[in-house]
Amino acid sequence: MASDKELSDFLKSVEKRAFKRTAFAVRDDDAALDIVQDAMIRLAEKYIDRPPAELPLLFQRILSNATMDFFRRQKVRNAVVHNFSDFEGSDPDGEFDILEMLDSQGTNLGTESASDSVSRDQILAAIDREVGELPTRQREAFLLRYWEELDVAETASVMGCSEGSVKTHCSRAVHALAKALKAKGISL
Amino acid sequence: MTTTDRTRMPTHSPDLDGMQARFGVRVAALLGERANAAPADISERLRFAREQAVARGQAARREQKLATAAAATVVGRGPSAVLAQRPGWWVKLASAMPLAMLVCGLVVIDRLHDRAQIAATAEVDAALLSDDLPPTAYSDPGFAEFLKAQHEQQ
Repeated sequence: MASDKELSDFLKSVEKRAFKRTAFAVRDDDAALDIVQDAMIRLAEKYIDRPPAELPLLFQRILSNATMDFFRRQKVRNAVVHNFSDFEGSDPDGEFDILEMLDSQGTNLGTESASDSVSRDQILAAIDREVGELPTRQREAFLLRYWEELDVAETASVMGCSEGSVKTHCSRAVHALAKALKAKGISL
Repeated sequence: MTTTDRTRMPTHSPDLDGMQARFGVRVAALLGERANAAPADISERLRFAREQAVARGQAARREQKLATAAAATVVGRGPSAVLAQRPGWWVKLASAMPLAMLVCGLVVIDRLHDRAQIAATAEVDAALLSDDLPPTAYSDPGFAEFLKAQHEQQ
């Protein structure tokens, strides 16, 4: 059973990422804060008897469900259909090569090559914007895998899809981000 | 999807997976850097939400403890106190009694049913044997026809 301190420390460690992930999904900071608070309270009230090691996965599931609940309520209220499926646009840049791009990223890791032309804040803002523009499922898979550091199976369980779908979503997200950042002259 | 597009779709080769993972982790790190620099009002609301959740968790834990203690008190003091102890041999025997009675009842009903069937058969046999008419007459088709005609006349 997680103690109050363990619960508090855990929530403190995930709250900002949880807020950002939810804000990406709902595009409204106030709604995102409400959803995160709702998820925190659900975790604290209903899963207080679970060991601390189970909290990260449980919290991600609860947060995803709370976000879905928000969209369901919004759909009923506004009678607007929010489509969660991926709409892959046509690829205008037929010559883009993901391997070449990632290869060059690999050699530049840890360097500040982008700082020549763009300030760090601008780079962070651009990354934030590009992640926010990814299709919902791709963004969810990308953030759960690389930001929340869940493995493929855990990500699949949170997203309610197969492990193959998670790999595909992640791959497409990386592809889209790499392409978008390259177009802006940003290399990481 | 054209053949060219299909060949350029990302595949899950180990090299590409590794490069994608490195890129993903790097982007996530920068994203985290920006998220950590969230405005003060958002940080404050998140802190409030966290404290609310921890307080609710404490309340839930207290309720759980109270419920457990209350259940233990009821079991220890109430008329069902005996159920909280390990049952003795006579309790086990008493709980087996209804089953034993049910089995005995079924056996008695079966015996009574058999006896009633035997009595009915014996009565029919006795009536046939004590009649003036020999039992073989009932297997004669002419006699059967005679009985049927008489029954129809009546």
